[in-house]
Formats: sequence, structure tokens, C-alpha cells
Amino acid sequence: MQQADPTPSAPRTDSADAPAAASRGLGGAVLDLFSSVRFGIVLLVLLFVYSTIGSAGVLYPEGWNILSADNWAHDQLRQWRPFEMTEFEWFNWWPFSTLMLLIAANVIVTTLRRIPFKPVNYGVWAIHTGIVVLIVGSFVYFGSKVEGDTPVARRVVVAEFDATQPDGSTKRERVQFLASPGQRVESGSGALRTSFAVTQVDPAWELLTGDDKGKRVYSVTVMVERNGKRFMRQLLAGKPELTEDLIFTNDQKQPVKRAIKEIGKPIFDDTLALSLDYAPQEWFYLRNDLVKSWALYVRPLGETKWTERPIRGLPLYNDRIGSRDDVYQQPGDDVLALDPIDVAVGPAAADDPFADVTFRVSGYLRYAMERTKIVDGGPSAPLNPVVFLEVADGRGQKASYRLVARDPERSRADAGALRFVSLAGEGEIERFKRQPSLTVRVPAKNIEIHEDIRDVASSNPDAPFVEIKGSEIDLGGGKLSAPYAYRVISVRDDVPLRDQFLALATVEVRTPKGVFRRWVFDDASLTRDVVKADASDAHGAPSIADPSIELAFEPGNGLALVVLAHGPEAGRLRMVSTIAGAAQVKELKPREATELAAGVTVRVDELFERAATESKPLVIPRAERQRDAMETFAQIKLDVPGATAGSASQWIPFNRWVFDAQEDALRRTPYEPRVVTLADGRKVEVMFSRQRLPLGTAVALEEFVLTSHIGGFTGSQGSIRDYMSAVRFKGVHAAAWSEPQRVSVNEPVEHDGLWYFQAQWDPPDMRQAEDGTASAGLNYTVLGVGNRVGVHVQLAGCCIAVLGMIYAFYVKPVIKRRRQDEVLAGLGRGRDGGRQVQP
Amino acid sequence: MKRWMNALRTLLATACVIACGVVCAQPARGHASADASVVASADAPADAPADTPFAQRVDLTPLATVAVQNDGRLKSMSSLASELMSAVSGPKEIAGQPPLFTYIDMVLRPDAYRDADVIYVKSAGPRARIAEAVLADDLLPETRTRMDAFRASGLISETMLSRPGVLKVLREMQQDLVRTAKSMDAIESALAVKDPRFLLARMQIVPRGDGDTQKPWHTIADVMFADGKEPVPGSMLLLAEKRDPPADLSPEVRGAVGDAWRAFVNAWLKTDADGVNTAAAKLAAVLPTIDPANYPDRGRLAWEHWYFANGHMTKTWLVYMASAIFLLLGFVWKWPRARRIGFGIFAVAVVLHTAAVFLRWYIAGRWPNSNMFEAVTTSAWFGCLGAIAIECFVRRTAMCGLFALGGAVTAMVALMAAYFLPVQLNANISNMMPVLHDVWLYIHTNVVIFSYVLIFMAAISALLYLGHRALGGAATFARVGGAGSLIVAGNHGEERMATGRAAFGEILDGVTMVLMELSFVMLWTGIVMGAIWADHSWGRPWGWDPKEVFALNTFIVFAVLVHVRLKVKDKGLWTAVLAVVGAAVMLFNWIVINFVITGLHSYA
Repeated sequence: MQQADPTPSAPRTDSADAPAAASRGLGGAVLDLFSSVRFGIVLLVLLFVYSTIGSAGVLYPEGWNILSADNWAHDQLRQWRPFEMTEFEWFNWWPFSTLMLLIAANVIVTTLRRIPFKPVNYGVWAIHTGIVVLIVGSFVYFGSKVEGDTPVARRVVVAEFDATQPDGSTKRERVQFLASPGQRVESGSGALRTSFAVTQVDPAWELLTGDDKGKRVYSVTVMVERNGKRFMRQLLAGKPELTEDLIFTNDQKQPVKRAIKEIGKPIFDDTLALSLDYAPQEWFYLRNDLVKSWALYVRPLGETKWTERPIRGLPLYNDRIGSRDDVYQQPGDDVLALDPIDVAVGPAAADDPFADVTFRVSGYLRYAMERTKIVDGGPSAPLNPVVFLEVADGRGQKASYRLVARDPERSRADAGALRFVSLAGEGEIERFKRQPSLTVRVPAKNIEIHEDIRDVASSNPDAPFVEIKGSEIDLGGGKLSAPYAYRVISVRDDVPLRDQFLALATVEVRTPKGVFRRWVFDDASLTRDVVKADASDAHGAPSIADPSIELAFEPGNGLALVVLAHGPEAGRLRMVSTIAGAAQVKELKPREATELAAGVTVRVDELFERAATESKPLVIPRAERQRDAMETFAQIKLDVPGATAGSASQWIPFNRWVFDAQEDALRRTPYEPRVVTLADGRKVEVMFSRQRLPLGTAVALEEFVLTSHIGGFTGSQGSIRDYMSAVRFKGVHAAAWSEPQRVSVNEPVEHDGLWYFQAQWDPPDMRQAEDGTASAGLNYTVLGVGNRVGVHVQLAGCCIAVLGMIYAFYVKPVIKRRRQDEVLAGLGRGRDGGRQVQP
Repeated sequence: MKRWMNALRTLLATACVIACGVVCAQPARGHASADASVVASADAPADAPADTPFAQRVDLTPLATVAVQNDGRLKSMSSLASELMSAVSGPKEIAGQPPLFTYIDMVLRPDAYRDADVIYVKSAGPRARIAEAVLADDLLPETRTRMDAFRASGLISETMLSRPGVLKVLREMQQDLVRTAKSMDAIESALAVKDPRFLLARMQIVPRGDGDTQKPWHTIADVMFADGKEPVPGSMLLLAEKRDPPADLSPEVRGAVGDAWRAFVNAWLKTDADGVNTAAAKLAAVLPTIDPANYPDRGRLAWEHWYFANGHMTKTWLVYMASAIFLLLGFVWKWPRARRIGFGIFAVAVVLHTAAVFLRWYIAGRWPNSNMFEAVTTSAWFGCLGAIAIECFVRRTAMCGLFALGGAVTAMVALMAAYFLPVQLNANISNMMPVLHDVWLYIHTNVVIFSYVLIFMAAISALLYLGHRALGGAATFARVGGAGSLIVAGNHGEERMATGRAAFGEILDGVTMVLMELSFVMLWTGIVMGAIWADHSWGRPWGWDPKEVFALNTFIVFAVLVHVRLKVKDKGLWTAVLAVVGAAVMLFNWIVINFVITGLHSYA
């Protein structure tokens, strides 16, 4: 009646060998343990628990109402301080490896000892064999796994030219920079300066002539300023013969023309050679989210070659600081725990230029951004008054201000209505009690007018001209000219001139000669009429000057309704208000509200007389972090051995890739090396990034093609069909580049044991069109790079297991059925035979 | 008689349970009838948009089946409207209007929607905070009533959201990327989509005259100013940016399209339904003639319109429910007629479900398995096909009807999820991400979702088994496994399941085991196939991605099940419990991992 369950096998019971085990001692007990199905089940349950915790993390309630999803918190256990593990690290940690070894041992011993190798058990044998092969393959695979990414730019621009040296001689110079919109490079200085700027890159420029008509090529346009001349040169990848210059003309309709049309030859400046070349990449950077792979790169200041120093023992997920004074935190954010680290970063390479120096990392921030704040600089700091205040109305509306007296840009608020000044002497305050005023004289008519300035045309374009009655001039024949008139365009008192600030009223004047502008300074000796050369204010005005009208300007309060005046005594702060008409002066005291007008109060929260700036990383609260930012905003605190107190440690931001120079940095990718000074005065440039490995070959990007669905790329991911990088390889000893090989999504390429995958791309970015750095994209690719040793062993194990499952579930019952049928048939024959022999 | 009464009781009990479920879920979908009054109270002409006669007199079918280019797809205007209106109002319909009507009305009469409660806020937390902010400085009784309605329906107006106090709260919630930022992003995107300029710019319904498929189609705004003509004096369309007329379109085409659109707008603003219908028909007639070679098949567009207008055919869950009830009756009360009726209804449901899957395949131009909606509905369809196939094998055994029951319940649950959770299971058809363009998508994904649906079906029979045991059923089990109990002979040389002597528990355990064995093999195979795909797609066959790990975890549960069955006495109970645990882990993978813990598989 009872039949054994055929799935997957019917091993003998665990207790069967117990007496024998007892007689064999500990070895036998261990052997029995590993032959136990129950032990196997326990191991599987442990594997389940381990995987669940490592992958999904843990959920725990934060509030009493456990039925509300909002009261549940989710956390990744493996990311907690004691663990600090990526998924890969968690699943390569010794407990997991031990578990896998125990499972393998359990499977092997149980199979060998308890499952006879006969047809009905072929299935379970195959499953167990497959699992063991998979485990072996996985140890090989994960034990040797390296994975990273490599950015490959499409082209660099190479410039070669004769540069005039300060001594008059010439020297052949070579400059190289990435073909990326907005990229700028300069060589030399002053009149000898040569500058290059990539103004436009068209990844698919259509050739309109020649044999390749209709073909699309990569086009780079470079603006060149050299020898006082400015022109543009267009370079086409793979078509150096089609290089040509574009020159600026005086033609308003077509300000830029092809040189061939304008001067009869394609190259305007043939002493300058510009060309496009590949931007080969020889490194790939290890993925931090696979295995923590931090590194510090060092080089003597001025050098280009970086030397890598791996940073081992640095966390990934949790902030580690030794003092809360090291960072800023947002109000209300959880206070950071003090949990410093001390990680030595010593030389690892034989050719490390600072072999005698070991840096130390004493802090780590997962997600922080540098912030600069104004703080009290102390008694030794230079005078720099800064006030923090709050203006409140009776209805609960509040506005906060931070005003810097000595910074024209930041000394005003609310379109100049509120102003903060620093008084050098008591007399200066009188000035701020007055409106700015203008004195107008027409000597020929003996007219003098003095008027307060209350309305300026820069804020009110309809401000009318003020006509000066009686100033008409007899033009002869009984005709009178129109009267003299003026209107104030703007009032400023922060025009920098050498080491002082001047006050200036810009006045538009109408005289019988015409309309013109006059700059009226508080220093009358500087007052003059605007002519065409004053491009910033000429506005096409005629270059006339008419001395028949005289203007004088008294700056007053510069149109501010409320002036906060600091000084001249230390700590003194007054408020001069002209809101009600006549000036009112009130003393202000810190943190005390003072009435400004009906219901409106001013409260000074803080006054720093000697303010200084201080920069620190601001720790971004967890809730405000972008989930996919990974380590982009990480920073380490680097301690410089033996350096002076001020420069002993410095926060160093993370750089995704280690470029040699800004000219090589990819768009949207930070290039932020920092300079630290050693005790002996040597300057070291450092960069915080990831470890890198040589590709063993140079990789160049021939082209990058974005394939889109119908209608072309719309800016949305949904319109993209595929990304394709055509890459070329050149080994160390190879003479030439390989033929282009296609790397696209789901279509990797193998070269020298490494596989290259399409990982990221350079999307168009047209937002910054105004400063010439808008980009049509497709200027670089990012390839995933990795090895896959042992993958076929893993696959073989999986396939064997699948075959075993099918056999165990579906073939084994058939075999059993056949056997039963045979037995029943035999019994039937036996019964029949029996009957035959019976009488 | 007793059998009839028992049957009736079972029927009523089942219907009550399901009705409760429907009633509980209903608020998520209610057509806020209050919306009509909200829109009507807005600053709008007296006859619209709540003027249902106008909305009903207008026949937008011609326009609904016009092709529109959107994010690399040519789709029906009706489906685009459905997609964009769901971005504004979530699962709610505004004033009972079809989405296309609301779309056009929002373009032509945006002021009417300014203070209408049309913007959907999904989560209860943000709703409460917004309502609190509104009521902080506005205690009018009507505002209080409106906020109560908002808390219940989630619909609020643009003007309410623009109040300074509310803006402050929205900014605060935007900062919390963990809890509320997603809801705030949805509000922001609803406001952006609701902007008439945005909606007008999405109306890329004018094909190119040069046949260039790599360049975008023109929007109706591109031609409405063409050749110096103004759209309609005084209309909001004048706010649209004037552009040069498209050079690839001949003046005649520009004139024909522009004239039809202007007539349409004019008639709409006058609520002249006849004029709207005539102009819409004219527009729909002229557009396909511009580039007939590249214009999508009108039949396909009409089907797409029909498919979206009929809720993606997810109401089929009701048919599955009916079949499940009869199949359950047939099994529990051993009533062949109920089972036969159940089979009949199940067949109808599967036909409808098949039609929905194939229709979507035809409309999308690709097999429907690349987003959550498609994965859920297609996997359920696989489950039903699998159930039919297994039923063919077991038709003469005691298991007959149970696989169909499992399939029916599974499909019912899946289609109910699609029907009641349209925000989570977004049914919009979009292009697949580049990484999904691989033959392994069809192999790996289909095998895995098939295994998942089998796991769910196994859990249903396991739950029936647990119910049976809870009601005092004997601790019986299928002694030779699942497939084995159908193949291996008993003492009398017949498969035990065919003898009629099999106990209730034995049958249910056998069904669970049949499904478990099948899903065990398929899940493992699916995982391996995924690894093969991942190896050439991501550069590693196994990345310890949460979705991978939980697929493995599901497999581990079943591996434990297989081995526990060897060691315990009460095999049936343990099998049932572990089958339910396995299904729970699988559902955790599909729901929690997908929506909470994202990984590389985040698009799946």
C-alpha cells in the first residue's frame, strides 16, 4: 500500500547507520551528519535566510500602527556599519562560502552514501551533480571576477602651431584637448595667447559634395583666437582634406562665411594645424558597487601621470567622522555619530613619486556637497561686516536676508530697497538720510535746478524727460529750440575704480545738439558724455558731447528705502529709513525686533563685523539623496603627514574617472584634483577615485550611433531603439588599429580575455545654448568591462541539474510504472500458471 | 435536494466573499460623479464640460482612431489621451467624460479646469497634508467639504495646489525622496501634462510629407498658423508659439488640415456638436492621405481605440470568477454538471483572455511581456493554457477540474489586479527598453512568468488542502508525488487518481505536487535562461540582484519542500504550507522587490 515518494529519491532513513556511526566515533558522526537530509534542509533554510537578509534587507516597524506602510522602515543589513558590504561582497563573504561548501559536501556525501546509482536514481544523481558543478564553477567565477567600466571619448583635437615666445623666438607647440562642446584650452598669455574653444560638435554632419555625398561624419568646430585674430575651423573625422576655416565678416546678414568664399582658400591661417585623432583609453575602473575599490591617485603638482594608491578598509555606505566640526548638517537632520576611521594610504606602486609619504584617511562621507558659509572670522580677521536679519509683517509673513556690506552684489536686497553699508566715519551717515539728487545747470540761461531722484528709467522705462523751462535757445527767425531736458536712467554707488567705489548717475540728456547719455559721477572730475567707444552703454547713441549743460550728482542713499549702517564704532548698527519721507534713524540691537513701519519689524539675528568664509562638506540628509547617485557625492578626509595645522587635513571629493587634465575630462564628469602640501613643502596633487586596471590594449571609439524608433530621438528613453559603439583595439605591440567592432546592447565584444559591453552614453544636452556649451551628445561612450572565467562550468552544472529534474519528476515514474507492469504481468503469468497446475 | 442547498450555500458564500472584495476595491475606481459638479462650478460656459449632452453628442471616434506619433510609436489618439489623462487624473475619469474628450477640452478650454478637481494624488499621507494646508487658512464650509472629498477620491484642483501654504507643504514633501517625493513628482507631472501647451504639443497627428521616418511628425499646432491663418480668434490656441509652416507639406495639405482643425476648434468653443463631428471626420479623412505608405493600418488603430475604450478587456475577471465558482462547486460537492458549466465558462474566459493578449500583441507589434501589466496578464493567460493542457491529461482522473479552478482563480486575481490597480499596473503601450530587444526576453521571461503562475496555482490547491485539513479532513497525501500519482500504478495496476478511491486530501496534494514539480523545473530553467541572457547583456550571469536572489529563494523553498517531503510524516500538510510560502516569496519578488527594492530588473 505505502509507496515511496519518487521526488527526488528515496534515500535510506537517517537513523539506519546510527549504530555504525557511533562505533566509528567523531569521523563517523560527521560523515553521518553530512549524509543527513535533515542537515541538508537546515542548510537550505540557512541559505534562504542569508540570501533574504543580504538582498532584500530587513523590514522593521517604526511606529505602533503596524498596519500602516508608513510605519515600516526598510534597511539593508549588509550596509550597516559592522558589515559595510555590497551585494557581491555579502555573497562572497566567508559565511556564504562556508555555507556553499557545506551544501556541496552534504550533497556529495548524501548522494554517494545514500542514493544507489541505478536508473531510478539517475535524476537525483544528475541534480546533485549539477548543483556541485555549479558551486565549483561559481567559486571559480566569483573568485576571479573583475568588472568595471571605461569611458572612451570619440575624438581629441590636436593643435600644432608656432608659438611666439616672450623673447621673440618661435617654438613649435602641440596642444591636445577633447572634442567636447565647451572645451577650452589656452596657450601663452597676453598678446601671445592662443586659445581654442570647441563651439560645436555635430555627431552626424552630412557631406553634401564629393564621392561620399550623403554620408554622415563627426564634425568638430573649433573657435581659434590667435595673433589678435579670431576664426573658426571645422574638422571632419576621417576627412582631413575637407578641413576648412570660417571667418567673421562685417556683413550683418552673414557674419560668418566660409574662408574659401571670402578669401579664395579653405584655410585662413595655414600656420596652425588642427586635426582630429582617436582618444584611446587604456584603463578600466573597478566597480565600487561590486567590490569596494577606492583609490587615491597622487602626482607631483605640474605632472600629468597619476600613481594609484588603493585605499583598503574605507567604508561605502556610512559616514565616518571624528568631529562634528568637520562637516555641516542641515537643521533637523539626525546628528552624525562620531565614529572616526584611520586608514593608511601608503605607496603601492614601485614608481610612486612619494614613496616616503603615507597619507591617512580619517573621515568618510557617503553623500555630501561642499558648502561655503559666512562665519565670524575672529578679531584678527579683516573688517568685513555681514548682517543676518529678518523682516516680518504683522500677518506672519517673514523674509530673511544676509547682507555683506563690502560686496556690491550682496549688500542690497529687494531690488535695492534694502541696503547694508559700513561707515568709516560718523559723518557718512548723513549721506544715507538723503535721497540721491541731481543738480542741473544751463549756464547760458543762468538756470540751476536741484532735484531729488525718485524714479529711474532702468526700473521704469516710461520715466518721462524732465524739461527745463526757459532753456529754449533762439534758432533764429523767431524759432526756438525745444527746451533742454533730462531723465535719470540709473543710479549706482558701487562702481569699482581701483581701490574705491564711486557713485554714478547715468542721465539721458536732450539738448539742441541731440540726445545723448552722460555719466555723472560723485567725483565731478570723472563725469563725461558717453561716446561709441563706451560699448557697454552706448546703445547706438551719437557720440556727441554738449558742455552747454552741466550736471552734478550727490549719491545720497542710492534709492534705498532702508539702509542698515554699521559703525563707525565696533558693534554699532543703525537703521536709516526714508519710508515715511523724512529720514528716521534707529539703533538696532541683536535679536531685538525694531519697528520699521506700521506692523513691520526688523530683527538682527547676527552681526559679524569681521566675517570670513568657511567651506565644509554639507551632509545631505538621507531622505534627500538620489538613489542612483552611488558614490558620486562621496568625500574622504585626507590627513597630510607632518603638514602645518591649517593644511593638515582636507576633504577630497570623489571623481568617477581619473583624467590627466581638465582638457581630457568628459562632459558632465567632475575633474576635481586637490593640492596638498607636505611638511617639507612639496606639493602633491591628489585625486580620490576608484582603482583601475589596464585593459591590456588601447580602445578607441570610431563612432557612436543612436538608433531610434519612428520619429527619431525625442529626448525620451522610449524613443531609443539601441546604442552602438564601434570600437577599435590596438594591442601593445600592434602597429595599427583593428577594424571597428560593434558593441551594442545585448551584443558584447571579447578582446584579450575581457568582454566589452555597451553601458552608458552621452545624451544630448541643449540647455546651455546661451554660453555655447550646448551639446548634441554622442561624444563618448562608457563600456562595461569584465571577465567571465568559469561561466561555462556554471552553465554545464545548471544544464545537468535541469536534465536531472526532468528525469526525476517525469522519467522515473515511467520507469517505475514499467517495472510495476512487468511485476504485475509476472504475477499474472504466475497466477495463470498456478491455475494450470491445479486440478 | 441537500446537494442543491449545499451548492446554493457555497455559491452564495463565494459570491459574498467576492462581492466584499469588489466593494472594498471599488473606491479606487469610482467615477467621481462629484467631479462633474466640480468642473461645472468652474469658470466655464454654462454648458460645458459637465454639459453631458455636448459630451455625448460629440462623436470623437474618427479622431480617436487617428494615428499620433508619441515617443517612437504610432498609436491611436484615443490611447494617447488615455495615457496622458491617466497621468493627470490617475485611475479617475473626469465628469464621466471619455479621456479624449477631456484631453481636447483641456486644450481648448483650459480655464474650465483651473479650479476643477482633476489632479490625482495617490497616497493618503500627502492627501492629508495637502488638505491640512488648504484648511489652515480657509475654513469655509465648502472648502471643508471639498477637502473631505479630496481625501477620499484623491482629486484636487490646480488652484488649490497653487495656494502659498500648499506650495510650501509640497516643497517639503518634495525633499523627502524616500516617502513623498514620488507623489510630488506625480503631481508635478500632472500639472505639466495638464498644461494646454503640453497637450497641444503632444498632438503630433500630421504625418510628414517627405516620408522621412526618422524625423518627427508635425503637431496640429504646426499647421494651424500655416499660411498666415489664425486658429480661432480669442482662443487659448493663440498662446501657442507661432512657427513657420512645415516645408515638407504642400500648401494644399496644410490648408486642408489647418481648415479642418480650425473648424473643429471653432465648433468646440461654440459647443456645436454637429460642427465638431463634421470637422473631426474631415480631419480624420485627410490625415491618412498625407503619407499613406507610412500611415499605420486604420484597422489596427480602430482596434487600439476599442481596446483602450474597453478597459484593456480586464473585466474578463468576472467571467473567470463565474467559472471558478462552478468549478469549486463541482469539486467540493462532486457535482459533474457544475463542473461542466465551470469548464464551459472557463473556456469562454480563456477565449476572451486570449483575444485580449493577441489583440495587445497586434496593437503593440510585440509580444506583451515587457511591463508589469503585460507580465501579470500574460502569465495568467499562460497559467490558463497550462491548466487546459494538464486537464487534457487528467480528464479521467479525480484531479479533473482542479487545474482549471486554479487557472481561473489565478487569472481572476491577475485581471482584478490589472482592473483595480491601473496606476500600479499601467496598461499603456510603450516601446521596450533597448536591453529588452533580445530573443531571451521571449524565452527567459515567458518561462519564468509561466513558472510563477504555476506556483500561484499550486498555492491555490495548497490553500484548499489547508482548508480541508482545517475543517477536519484526513492527513492524506499523494504517496507517489504529483506526476507519479498519475503514472505509477497502485496495487491494482491502475493509477490511483483514476480509481475514484483517492481521498480528498490526496487529490489536492497531488494537484499541488503536479504544479510544484512543473514549476520547479521551469523556475530553475527560467533562472538559468535569465543567467545566459544576463551574461551577454550585463556582463555577468548572476549579479545578486534582488530579483535574481528572490527567484532563487523561491526555488530554495521548493527544494526544501522536495526534501522535507522525504522526511516528515504529514507530507500533505508540509507540502501545502511550503507551497503557500513559496508563492508568498514569489509574490514578494513580484510586488515588494519591484515596487520597493529596485535593482537591475527595475523595468520588468
